[in-house]
Amino acid sequence: MNIKTVTVVGATGTMGANIAGIFASFGGAKVYMIGRDIEKVKRTIPRTVKSVKADSIAKNLIPADFTMLEQCVADSDLVFESCAENIHVKTETAARIGKALKSDAVSCTGTSGLSVTALAECYPEDLRSRFFGVHMFNPPYSMSLCELIETKYSEKELADELKDYLDRTLLRTVVEVKDSPAFLGNRIGFQFINEALQYAETYKDNGGIDYIDAILGSFTGRSMAPLNTSDFVGLDVHKAIVDNIYQNTDDYAHETFILPQYVQKLIDEKKLGRKSGEGLYKLVRYDNGLKRPTVLDINTGMYRDRIPYVFPFADNMKKYIAEGEYIKAFDQLVNNHSLEAEICLSFLLKYIVYSLYAAKEVGYTIEAADDVMATGFNWCPPLAMYQALSSVSDVKTLIKERLTDIRGKIDIDGLLADIKPSRYDYRLYFKSGK
Amino acid sequence: MSKVYILGGAQTDFERNWKKEGKNMVALLKEAVTDGLANADITFDDIKELNKDNRVACFVGNFIAEKYTEQGHLGAFMTEVNAAFYGVPSARYEAACASSSVAIDAAQTKIKSGDYDVAIVVGWELMKTVDSKTGGDFLGRAAFYEKEGKDIDFPFPKLFGKLADETLKKYPIEEKRYMDALASISAINYSNGKRNPMAQTRKWFMSYEQASTRGTETNPLVGGKLAVSDCSQVTDGAAVVVLASEKFMKERGIKEKPVIKGYGHRVAPMLFEKKMADNAASAFILPWTRQAVVDAYKRSGLTVDDMDVFETHDCFTSSEYAAISSFGLTEPSREYEAVESGLISFDGKKPINPSGGLIGCGHPVGASGARMFLDLYKQVTGTAGRYQIHGVRNAMMLNIGGSATTNYVFVVGVDR
Repeated sequence: MNIKTVTVVGATGTMGANIAGIFASFGGAKVYMIGRDIEKVKRTIPRTVKSVKADSIAKNLIPADFTMLEQCVADSDLVFESCAENIHVKTETAARIGKALKSDAVSCTGTSGLSVTALAECYPEDLRSRFFGVHMFNPPYSMSLCELIETKYSEKELADELKDYLDRTLLRTVVEVKDSPAFLGNRIGFQFINEALQYAETYKDNGGIDYIDAILGSFTGRSMAPLNTSDFVGLDVHKAIVDNIYQNTDDYAHETFILPQYVQKLIDEKKLGRKSGEGLYKLVRYDNGLKRPTVLDINTGMYRDRIPYVFPFADNMKKYIAEGEYIKAFDQLVNNHSLEAEICLSFLLKYIVYSLYAAKEVGYTIEAADDVMATGFNWCPPLAMYQALSSVSDVKTLIKERLTDIRGKIDIDGLLADIKPSRYDYRLYFKSGK
Repeated sequence: MSKVYILGGAQTDFERNWKKEGKNMVALLKEAVTDGLANADITFDDIKELNKDNRVACFVGNFIAEKYTEQGHLGAFMTEVNAAFYGVPSARYEAACASSSVAIDAAQTKIKSGDYDVAIVVGWELMKTVDSKTGGDFLGRAAFYEKEGKDIDFPFPKLFGKLADETLKKYPIEEKRYMDALASISAINYSNGKRNPMAQTRKWFMSYEQASTRGTETNPLVGGKLAVSDCSQVTDGAAVVVLASEKFMKERGIKEKPVIKGYGHRVAPMLFEKKMADNAASAFILPWTRQAVVDAYKRSGLTVDDMDVFETHDCFTSSEYAAISSFGLTEPSREYEAVESGLISFDGKKPINPSGGLIGCGHPVGASGARMFLDLYKQVTGTAGRYQIHGVRNAMMLNIGGSATTNYVFVVGVDR
């Protein structure tokens, strides 16, 4: 696939600006960056340059506004729509792109949740075969995941060419997934995160938010604890993802996608997380430069100091991980029967099961679950997690013993029958730290 | 004297930051040694057995853990990896960035002499324990610190920037042609690193254009004419290789493992200025680097025509440039020809650094010699995956310490 000129529509958004950088750097393409306000696009360009650490691409980034859309699209080999996640905006934009698109060009949407098929239908019939969903993760320079979504209209050969281009030229980890709400990575990741939010409410008397994060910290195979991740992503974005999945899918874990009330309340109060200065957590800054990390107390609705929880199982795991004694660390997890260790292990087991289930439903291979979680979330991927826990215990037996509530709902033996060794090394993901 | 066979080895993923993972040097050693032994098909029980008759030893290469991790007596740390190493002879070897080459040399000597039958070489460095300026100061101790390092920010980029200046003085090459060749060297190493699943920069963007645009915000000058794109990386990592005697090979019935065919080890004057004064009578800018290569060719009975691939010490693009003629790929002063013609590119006839080298793969200083040696092993055994060069029979590496002060060369090839 020979892509020399690209148009990114919605280039002032976080994703649009970063994706323009990926096309201009690895792709070596000339990129028209379209935004509502051309002055804002001009101010975005330095951010794009910085996102790939290459001034050399600056001359290939051309600012434009929506009045120039048809002209830019008509000159492009590939068009990437990265507008707001709003069906009206996206359908209107798709229709405009469809009218100007060259007959041999490719058009992509970066939507993270809307139906790619529905957007394909905004295009003239003869161009629908050239339309795909290409869902990248933030920031794309360090997160290589790229979910590729074909529709029933897509041309298979063209999809293969696009996949090759994304993989070899743009150095993406391409995972083909079905046109299903939120696709695969977010389906798995936000199932985990949202259930953790629910547990924070259930265990609010034990500490709630920071309590659950202390149980599921980086020593459990991730860079950032789950509720902290939600705060980082933005609670409004989190809500959009889980609401979409809850409303448009129905699987055995359906109830775990219900957004807890206290989170809705934060959103109503515009406490959206890191980007608005407060959310689940709040960093209080004093005039003298001191910073005080606080967390929402779900019971009182007030922010309080974070609690330095001491869980013997977690402290032992961290100690072992620091010295590279992973098996001893997992042994602590599996054989400690404190409430916290049991919550922790049950989350990791549920993660394995749900990942395999979702990979069957939304992906095409079992490895898809590994690729999305390793390269989109930087979490220990499920097959590697299975391998890690297998070093100390029979994971199938553990699942049956510990996850009694899902036992009757799904065919665990069937799911685990397809398990394969992971291509990822679990040791990289288990960290000793907060 | 016994031949010295290479059974295998492993390197850690050079993308990793062990401080961020909250892991210490013992964790690093455990992972690298466990993976290296597994690749070489040696178990901890084998080590216990061999040790009963004093047939196994360890050789640890590290430059300056005393600064980076506040730890000395590094040879003894093998006992923290596994109890199988209790009683196994082990010591640390140091020659700045050539530390693990001197460890390999010590190991091969003990195998040749028949003292030991299995030698485990571990090279490692954890460099991300401190900020880059502090780390740069630590590395200054690979030069004459009092005269070339103390109170200077980033002394090494400055020394290799001077090597670039001296190259331009010594040879009649135009500056632009030289700097473009250096940019190409950078771009080739980054591009090769994309093929290596263990390379630190495998996800990073670099192009010839970016490398040749020096003095910008994303590619600032760091030492004279050299910019960030001309530098190798600050890296955490370890590399392990396992060597064995002919006797061990026969006992185990192991066949078709590569052998060490030759080596060269020469030490140039410590001070950079003295090095340059010393080269006046030579056509080479680094005559002792060249001499180490010549020695290795002589010991192996091979010539540059026999070498199918090279791994070199591209701590800076200017050092790889000087290595080109040292290897004998061009006449001294005409190194640019090998860059411009594509000779040293991945698809060229004499590829240099298919692994990505120190620029693309990364440079945990005490591990780099062992990492290069491991890559020669991979190339000769056809196990380098996506960075495999087709049909490699013989391969050469050059590992330097300081400002090309310690020069180590090894030739690894198929056992004839």
